[in-house]
Amino acid sequence: MTMCTAYATADAPSDQVHASQLDVAAELLTLLRDATTEPRPDIQLEALTLAVAADLPVLLWGEPGIGKTAALTQLAAALDLPLTTVIASVHEPSDFSGLPIVGDDPAEQGVPMAPPDWAVRLVRAGRGLLFLDELSTAPPAVQAALLRLVLERRIGALRLPPGVRIVAAANPRSSAADGWELSPPLANRFVHLQWTHDHDVVVRGLGGTWPRATLPRLDPARLPEAVDFARRAVCGLLTGRPKLVHQLPSSETRRGGPWPSPRSWEMTLSLIAFATAAGSSREVLSLLVRGTVGDGPGLELLASLDRMDLPDPETLLADPAGAALPERGDLRQAVLDGVVAAVRRRPEKSRWDAAWALLVRVVETGAPDLVVVPATTLASLRQEDWDVPASIERLAGAVSVSRRADQAADRVAARAAAVAAKAGR
Amino acid sequence: MTPDAPGTLDLDKLFAARLQAARARPYLATALFALHTVESRRVPTMAVDRHWRCYVSPVFVDRTPVEELAGVWVHEVSHLLRDHHGRSDRFARLHGLTGPAERLRMNIAADCEINDDVFGDGLVRPEGAVQPGSLGLPAGELMEDYLRQFRLGPHTQSLAWLDCGSGADGLEREWDLGADGAHGLSAQERDAVRFRVAQGITARPGNTPKAWQRWAEDAFHPPQPWRELLGAAVRSAASGPGAGEDYIYGRPSRRSAGVPGVVLPSLRRRPPRVSVVIDTSGSVSDAELGSALLEVSAISRAVGGRRDLITVVPCDAAARIAHPLCRAEGIPLLGGGGTDLRTGFAKALRVRPRPDVIVILTDGQTPWPETRPPCRTVVGLFPRRRENPSDDEDDPDYEPDTPPAWARVVVIG
Repeated sequence: MTMCTAYATADAPSDQVHASQLDVAAELLTLLRDATTEPRPDIQLEALTLAVAADLPVLLWGEPGIGKTAALTQLAAALDLPLTTVIASVHEPSDFSGLPIVGDDPAEQGVPMAPPDWAVRLVRAGRGLLFLDELSTAPPAVQAALLRLVLERRIGALRLPPGVRIVAAANPRSSAADGWELSPPLANRFVHLQWTHDHDVVVRGLGGTWPRATLPRLDPARLPEAVDFARRAVCGLLTGRPKLVHQLPSSETRRGGPWPSPRSWEMTLSLIAFATAAGSSREVLSLLVRGTVGDGPGLELLASLDRMDLPDPETLLADPAGAALPERGDLRQAVLDGVVAAVRRRPEKSRWDAAWALLVRVVETGAPDLVVVPATTLASLRQEDWDVPASIERLAGAVSVSRRADQAADRVAARAAAVAAKAGR
Repeated sequence: MTPDAPGTLDLDKLFAARLQAARARPYLATALFALHTVESRRVPTMAVDRHWRCYVSPVFVDRTPVEELAGVWVHEVSHLLRDHHGRSDRFARLHGLTGPAERLRMNIAADCEINDDVFGDGLVRPEGAVQPGSLGLPAGELMEDYLRQFRLGPHTQSLAWLDCGSGADGLEREWDLGADGAHGLSAQERDAVRFRVAQGITARPGNTPKAWQRWAEDAFHPPQPWRELLGAAVRSAASGPGAGEDYIYGRPSRRSAGVPGVVLPSLRRRPPRVSVVIDTSGSVSDAELGSALLEVSAISRAVGGRRDLITVVPCDAAARIAHPLCRAEGIPLLGGGGTDLRTGFAKALRVRPRPDVIVILTDGQTPWPETRPPCRTVVGLFPRRRENPSDDEDDPDYEPDTPPAWARVVVIG
């Protein structure tokens, strides 16, 4: 004791150093943790937020350690929901289906299945974000119990209240050591989001500045419009393409991924409505739609949305001078094709003239090669008593471009013929 | 769409060439018109970036005839449609390649993939276009295959000027306007354009060359490496409920102490038994068979199958590859003879104890069992395309049976 005291007294400065070493370490840790944030659009997080807001089960596919948990923390803060994380791989099936509790007379009263504490707390709170992490490393029986939780929202005798939202995470098939796979019926119930890290974000974050995503806010004024738009989009596509309604994945490559069925189209419909009400970009909608019905049908839906965005041919014909034309060449061509088709459907002199005026505007504001095909078709629609409008002079540029292309094609054909003749001889 | 800035760039000539390209390849018109032209004096010829901008050198346009420019248009847009920049990035990451020399190599390989079938039939091959033949390589392969087959050296010296831009090899150029620049296409818009082109091709397959049809089929579902697919299929078959590990009541759970009087299940691991049935009757080459068999045994070992739990059943007398391989691997050989896969199934199922998983390696030219076998089945299928239909003149309608729906089929190679 004395020794100790003596020692301590003698080396008082060193003791002080020892205490302050921890303080210094704490200081260093504070510095390390001191990071700022900067606003940065994050379409992955935006898509996740919308899907969770739409109360659809989301499955995040991503390699371990790329910030899925960090994203969930941000999401929970944005939606103002308490976050409960459950690491599936360290649990047993009974943790999700309920632990049997033996009473006095099991034969008489039965064995109740008691839920785990986190579930009780979640139900008591009435709201929260439940994150089921590492689904893919859990044994099959645990996965089976978890899927009941995701799909039926039951844990033992408890039923999760509607205010609880569920997100699960899994490793991609190629990196999963024990091959977690979804059967097609299960895959069809999830919104699949591929979670990847952005190199720039990670490097900048390690340098002290993490991104702060501004998350979508639903605009109460746009709700009826959003529902109407979503219904028009999905019904419009499926009316014309009945084959897209239900397509079980046939190839091994697409197994375990999203595929179209009436159920997943219904999910798509609500996702479109949510994205519209939140004013989200096409990029976000693309992630959501392709993650729900799969790439092919999802892209078809997006393409038909693009067509819905294009100006209506009748509006353009009514006012060619004030027409707002898209900038992109391929969209311009789609618009012109639509206009010519409209004139063909109802050929009238005034509409024909309006179409020419429109073509002139296109030539004057963009590439001339786009109008060659529509102009040729339009010319063929002329009726005997229709005079050629004077404005057609201004299409001369397009005509000369067309002539040069013809000449080039002739030269190619001549050369090919010469080569063939030589070979024949 | 085009900048009004005065310059020596002959836009009319450039657009005449694009028109000719669109007429010669109508299925690419959407993609050609979606490109946004940018005049640039730093570009040697024409180059694209990943945001679908096309940088054009005025001097190059001046000295190149319209018909050759048309070929260049189609060439450049092919880089974008075939996602060469994304594939270059993935290849570079996978193989740890860095530096501009490697990117030049990717540009050359990408050019080879395009140039072997894009010209002719109304399009002239531009002067100096790289052909696989000029590097001593076979035609008709993918960029990734070419990349494994050649190095930069004296024979590629003449190609060092070649530059199709960041859209071809993923390396940013100093003239690139970048993601934030004007008139770029977003990722979703790029996908939409590629999708519309692919849709146009699959809707009218008669008018398009084979290579473009194959591209259209795979545009949004690039074929996955068969090793990963086979691995996933075997793993999931071997570790699903009933095989491998699961909960059993044979041993008390570690939690039983907490709940006296209750029998809880505990986790127990039982290594899966895997039977590999090899069909050697077809024209399956030794190399194909060898690599597939090695893969299967490696996968089954990874899921916990011990050597003695893997059985190999050759389904033909001439199982010359199976014998040495299995001897080297210490896998016991059972049975032999017979060219009908149904006998192979029967033989594999007769083994006691019964296998949990049967893996079949075959080229599919065989009858299949009528009923589903009592265990999980994975079929590794060696693809056999009929290259020349006239070979089957006797029976043009002959179609070999496809593997049944209850098997999980992975196409190998």
